[in-house]
Amino acid sequence: MKGYRHSLFVALFLLLLPLGMKSGSLATELVIYAMAACACNLLLGYTGLMSFGQGIFFGVGSYAAGLLLLHLGSSLAFTLAGCMAAGACVAALVGWFSIRQRGIYFVMLTLAFAQMFYFMAYSMKEITGGDNGLLGIQRPDVTLLGHEVLDTSDPWAYYAVAACVFLVVFTLLQRLAESRFGHTLLAIRDNEARAAAVGYDVKAFKLLAFVVSGAVTGLAGGLHAMLAGIAPLSNIEYHVSEMILLITVVGGTGSFLASVIGAAVYVVTADWLASFWPRWLMLFGFLLIAVALYVRQGLWGVLQDVSARLQAWRTARAAPSSAPERHPGRQA
Amino acid sequence: MNLYLLQLVNGIGLGMIYFVLAVGLSIIFGLLRFVNFSHGAFFLLGAYGCYQLVQMGVDFWWTLLLGPLIVGVLAWLIEVFLFRKVYHFPHEIHILITVGLAMVAQEAVILYWGPVGANVSPPELLQGVVVWDSFIYPKYRLFVIGAGLALALVLGLLLEGTRLGAIVRAGSESTEMISLLGVNIQRVFAAVFALGAATAALAGVLAAPIRGVDPFMGVEVLGIAFVAVVVGGMGSFAGALAGGLLVGIVQSMMSSIWPPGASLMIYVAMALVLLLRPNGLLGRA
Amino acid sequence: MANRRHFLKLSLAAGLAAQPVFTFAKSDDLLVACPTAMSGTFSAIGKYSDLGIKLAVEQQGSVQGRTLKYRMIDTEAKPATAVRRVQEAIQQDGVRFFPGALLSAESLAMSKEIHKSGGLLITNAGADELTGVECNRSTFRWALPTYSIIQGSARPLIELLPQAKRWYTITPQYVFGEDLLRNAKALFQEKGIEHVGNSYHSLTEREFSGHLTNALASKADVLFLLNYGAQASDALRQAISFGLKEKMTIIVAAASGLEQFESLGTDICDGVYFGAVYWHTIDTAFNRTFVEQVRAKFGISPNYSLAAPYINMRMLIDAMDKAKSTEPREVIGALEGMVFEGLTGTEEVRREDHQVLRDFYLIKGKSKQNMRDKDDYADIIHSGRFFLAPEQTNCKMA
Repeated sequence: MKGYRHSLFVALFLLLLPLGMKSGSLATELVIYAMAACACNLLLGYTGLMSFGQGIFFGVGSYAAGLLLLHLGSSLAFTLAGCMAAGACVAALVGWFSIRQRGIYFVMLTLAFAQMFYFMAYSMKEITGGDNGLLGIQRPDVTLLGHEVLDTSDPWAYYAVAACVFLVVFTLLQRLAESRFGHTLLAIRDNEARAAAVGYDVKAFKLLAFVVSGAVTGLAGGLHAMLAGIAPLSNIEYHVSEMILLITVVGGTGSFLASVIGAAVYVVTADWLASFWPRWLMLFGFLLIAVALYVRQGLWGVLQDVSARLQAWRTARAAPSSAPERHPGRQA
Repeated sequence: MNLYLLQLVNGIGLGMIYFVLAVGLSIIFGLLRFVNFSHGAFFLLGAYGCYQLVQMGVDFWWTLLLGPLIVGVLAWLIEVFLFRKVYHFPHEIHILITVGLAMVAQEAVILYWGPVGANVSPPELLQGVVVWDSFIYPKYRLFVIGAGLALALVLGLLLEGTRLGAIVRAGSESTEMISLLGVNIQRVFAAVFALGAATAALAGVLAAPIRGVDPFMGVEVLGIAFVAVVVGGMGSFAGALAGGLLVGIVQSMMSSIWPPGASLMIYVAMALVLLLRPNGLLGRA
Repeated sequence: MANRRHFLKLSLAAGLAAQPVFTFAKSDDLLVACPTAMSGTFSAIGKYSDLGIKLAVEQQGSVQGRTLKYRMIDTEAKPATAVRRVQEAIQQDGVRFFPGALLSAESLAMSKEIHKSGGLLITNAGADELTGVECNRSTFRWALPTYSIIQGSARPLIELLPQAKRWYTITPQYVFGEDLLRNAKALFQEKGIEHVGNSYHSLTEREFSGHLTNALASKADVLFLLNYGAQASDALRQAISFGLKEKMTIIVAAASGLEQFESLGTDICDGVYFGAVYWHTIDTAFNRTFVEQVRAKFGISPNYSLAAPYINMRMLIDAMDKAKSTEPREVIGALEGMVFEGLTGTEEVRREDHQVLRDFYLIKGKSKQNMRDKDDYADIIHSGRFFLAPEQTNCKMA
């Protein structure tokens, strides 16, 4: 029941965050990227699919929220549902085509789709606002049966909303990962041919993973549009796809909690570093190389390593004569 | 009619630069099975190398040689000390490490030369236009077409006529086989990687007088390089030529009809090729 | 044992998150923030804007009894990042004044956010909407909307070259470009200019050869480049390589500034006309003093990215002194209708749409031999004020 422990930790983390951060907006952005990273991890860590197209779903979710709020004045719940639906639909489309190929060809396909959607969004000015994006998005309040429960104009109030949504999503993703569906995905990741031989419809599972990932990423995009009050073209840019993927990798593909850590580290470091060194991306580049070479389990792997060593050290201290010097292994 | 001819020639000129850019990427993938997201960074460094040398008073003609040479040596070092360790890792690791490298390169360029771009003038001999009836065209762009063709010729001869070329062609089929035959794989890989990076740098040098240099040109051009390689066929030299020319011509023709459509079309083409014929138009199975 | 491990991970995660975003200002200080691109494609802007604000702040020291301090906010040229960082500055550090924004997309987004929080934004972006359909009481603009840019660049050139009747335009296909084109067409119609053709291109375009050959084929007398920044530079560079300079007059609607000339060089800029929001040889007492100060302090001549935030800051300070207050509402009230000595002479903040009425310049590039110093890339040929009447701007200020 590892899942519940992780969810508990995330809940604790979300509760403690306002104590450590002074900006509700930054905290909300952290939650949003954590969500996107978890969704990406579902594809990367659990299904073995490296998707350069997450930005598509993020941008689509963003536009969906913008359009729903600007044209329909929809409620918060409806808007969130709409973003998820939009993300899921587009992911189904992109996924259906992309999973027809594997390995590097799959990666290239997602890349091609990412660029295609960017240029489509740029061209469809009437819908997306083109280069300007959609402006003046009003953040809806939390309502229950028509009565206002929470005024979301306060940044921390909105953070509370985003955090609650994320906690629910995280828990559901954990449940999914531990379900038969999740285990099947892992089997597909480890050996696709064998999974197919055993009788699983590999394509269907991959597609479903895509749809879930797209829905969650779309949700993140929608939350982002409501955070910033705009749905800009940059949300569907290739750069977003790249960043989401890199955050996921840096955090580690071992678990969803790893994605949260990756997003947290990225958002906070970027914000903090950017204020006194505009060239901070260079450090991020080095970090990527380091992760690729040495710490392929990402920061999550580092943490696990550290705590495993600590454990071994403590065990050795407690019974110095008995335990032979064992090199702490890395978990799978 | 004249207008379409001009667009076509523009497209060919553009396509030639894309070919020079893409051929390295294609061969590196074909032989090394290495996905190189830092290919754009070599293009960038080549262009800036050219700019810096010209600033220091070196003749442009020399930069055509020196730029690729410097970048080639740099690439060789990177291959030996960095990439060599990761060949056997999955492709995702290749992508990560090369993306990281590309980031570092871009920021380093900004650190040293600043974020604003700069201009590189074509050499005296190539300034101005040729006039043929009503057909007016910059001399320098004709030179680029010529240079691209010359490189294609040289590379083609290299691949078909030399031992290294035979090794590369055979190695693209099976590296195990050629190492069993006694070839020092390490050295071949390093040489090919350096050559691939050098051609990217050459593309950068050729492009500099046309579009100037700026720190983001590497990232911008990487997408195009991938399209050309995928459409032409990964690992195929002729494919890089075909792919590059196709992308260049489509971009050129479409840019006056429907600007965003130009970019859209080439990525649609890329997706179509990946779906229907992943080995590309001229790639081998 | 298992608890320890998890606790360790959790505390590490929480600790990582608990980075206090530093603020050096004491509670009595007046902290202003300049939101502009410090990293990414437009990073050049941020570097110079920093200098401009620094100069103004250090010259002034304190205003209305409060020590002036400033911070640069990196928008990364992304509207969403701009909004988020502005939100943070408002919540965390109590910043209310945001002078020196330069990019359109982010200015539009920030304008709404700052208005919501009762702050004050002074921007130098070109999008018409800022003092037009999206205007609000918190937003002021020192630079020029597209109508003024076209009028200030094309009109004097038309009058300068009465024989040049055929104009060809190259336009980036987005809102700003479309607005420029619309205004250009209106001017052409008024002045009897034949608009022989237009080429649209996307914002990521680098290859202008096709458009330039169209321009050549149209036998235009003037090539009017409505694009900006790197694209204008590329288009210009390629136009020269196609020999267009010998065949027609070339004019760029809006130059990005001195650094554009530095990166292009005299060979390309010689004989080319540019519309300019600011140029360091503007002959007003205020500007002459300003240029001297910048040269003395930073050893460079001021470019647009440096000058605009500087004058924004000065406007703010003047308004605060006029209102005898640092409360945004009162400063806004003082700004409206304020007449002051600015870089282009006597300038006025128009009450109805918060547009500053000031000069726009037509400058012409010079050859290397004619340069009097290393920054003397162009001569100012014409200056003037061209603005739509407030009723025509679609601005309805609440």
